[in-house]
Amino acid sequence: MSLRSSRRIRLGNRDLPFQLVLIAFGIVTFFPLVLVVITSLKSNTQFYHNFWLPELPFRFGNYSSAFRIIWRFIVNSVIYSGATICLIAAIASVTGYVFARFRFPFKTVLFLGFITLIMVPGVLTLAPRFVLVRDLGLVNTPGALISVWVSGGLVLSTWLMRSYFESLPQELFDAAYVDGAAERQVFVYVSLPLARPMIATVAMTTLISTWNDLIWPLVTITNKDLMPLAQGLMQFSSDFETDWGTLFAGYVISSIPLLCVFAVAMRQFISGLTSGSIKA
Amino acid sequence: MIRRLSTSPSARVSKRTSQSPLPIRIWQAKWLYLALLIPVAILLIFEWLPAFSALYNSLYIWNGGKVHFYVGLEHYERMLSDRTFRVAITNLIGFVFFRVVMQTVLPFFAAEMIVNLRSARWSYWWKIIFVFPMVVPQILNYLIWRFIYNPQVGLLNEGLKLIGLEQYAYAWLADPHTVMWALAFVRFPWLPTLQFLIILGGLQTIPQEVHESAAIDGAGFWRRLFYIDIPMTRRQITLAMILTMLFMTQRFDLFLVMTDGGPGYSSMVPALQLYQSAFHFLEFGYASAIGVVLFVAMLALTIINLRVSAGANRE
Repeated sequence: MSLRSSRRIRLGNRDLPFQLVLIAFGIVTFFPLVLVVITSLKSNTQFYHNFWLPELPFRFGNYSSAFRIIWRFIVNSVIYSGATICLIAAIASVTGYVFARFRFPFKTVLFLGFITLIMVPGVLTLAPRFVLVRDLGLVNTPGALISVWVSGGLVLSTWLMRSYFESLPQELFDAAYVDGAAERQVFVYVSLPLARPMIATVAMTTLISTWNDLIWPLVTITNKDLMPLAQGLMQFSSDFETDWGTLFAGYVISSIPLLCVFAVAMRQFISGLTSGSIKA
Repeated sequence: MIRRLSTSPSARVSKRTSQSPLPIRIWQAKWLYLALLIPVAILLIFEWLPAFSALYNSLYIWNGGKVHFYVGLEHYERMLSDRTFRVAITNLIGFVFFRVVMQTVLPFFAAEMIVNLRSARWSYWWKIIFVFPMVVPQILNYLIWRFIYNPQVGLLNEGLKLIGLEQYAYAWLADPHTVMWALAFVRFPWLPTLQFLIILGGLQTIPQEVHESAAIDGAGFWRRLFYIDIPMTRRQITLAMILTMLFMTQRFDLFLVMTDGGPGYSSMVPALQLYQSAFHFLEFGYASAIGVVLFVAMLALTIINLRVSAGANRE
């Protein structure tokens, strides 16, 4: 009897046990986020009086006072990350194309010069790189961030672009050559449009790594007006240490930009990384 | 990772190859070199130069400016007797071990659950739900967890109060005995996005027929897990582990934001000590030496990990 009923349940809805585990896991995942949103709508008195539950009236004023400070950091980050993404996409697609499609003297040496840098960790170069950037006079300028972010992202991006161009079938290029296309035209009108998904991946990884970088801005930027979001949030959190409502309103606001990006690109992002092509 | 690359299909070559002498071939490729000029210059200046500068200056006492004199291997000897560094290394080993286990097991189980769902729509939504925390800026993970551990109004202590365990409420980050454990659990239920998606990708590529024939042979969930799913995603699991290891060894923003190495130096890690040596004490030479040691350790661990997994694959 018991055997039969248990089997019926399994056949009836085989997903149920997995769903229950996933739901429990999902609740634990979102609980802190929900609490942050709830607290962002409270005054300090409301917060100390009632820790867990939302309480009327909602203090939307927290959001306007947080936004007045956070917006500049968001704008800065959009500019820095945007510039970095454009530069990396442009340089890496040309470089990847050259390495993928041509044979020329010293190619192997040059490519090794790129690829071995994957093994050089940022922590090794942190201190000397600061001295270099300082001596170049870039401290407290956007150039300090963009230059180093471009060089740091270039290695992996070039590798990704090269692999992608190598995977395109030779017939495609032959057809273009037969039609009389010059190399430049083949690159612009054939290769680049085909590489759009890979360029999107490169843009996405660059966005996430630059958006979240805290240490490098911390050592090169001291001017509050130039701080990117991560560093700005650290500053913001110490300025508003005990004003919980405003603090958490700022946290919510600062999550919105990436939320928008992901609302648009989540599907491609997930399918790109789960395609199974990534192996050790 | 690197080895796979060299065995990937060799570069298709355009029609322009020739057997002419070297100078002529270089001249023919002049436009290609011009295209490579910018990236090569950028990498030489901002990557190779600092890397060699770190190796070179680890043998010098250097304040980042004029004070600069040769001391040989003195920094490396100092590391051996430096108590802070010893604590930092011990902390790092425990921390990395814990995080590698946690950040492999957790995403693997979540992915396994998701792959097991019959409903394609639900499995899509669960993927999105578990990837969602990545829209939160990284530093907010730490700031939110600082709030969770807050001794006066923290989520953890309030939760303990709520379920009547008030006597266990504690200043988790202020006690040298609990601080590393508290830090190890930062971001706990949130999955590491990259590792999660890599493992998920591996599980998704296992052909349906394999699972079906296993089910016909009477293999249940656990049996299938240990005899099919784990062995068949070994590559992805290895990659996820290497990534976690490399991230955790060199990222120290967690420690910087949450405790700054304290109380005392009980939550110090080598990368944070490097940062403090350079930017608080202006000991750029010592910082470089710590960097070199970390670099060598990471390289060695990666090679060992790849060897072990390659050996296991050959069996």
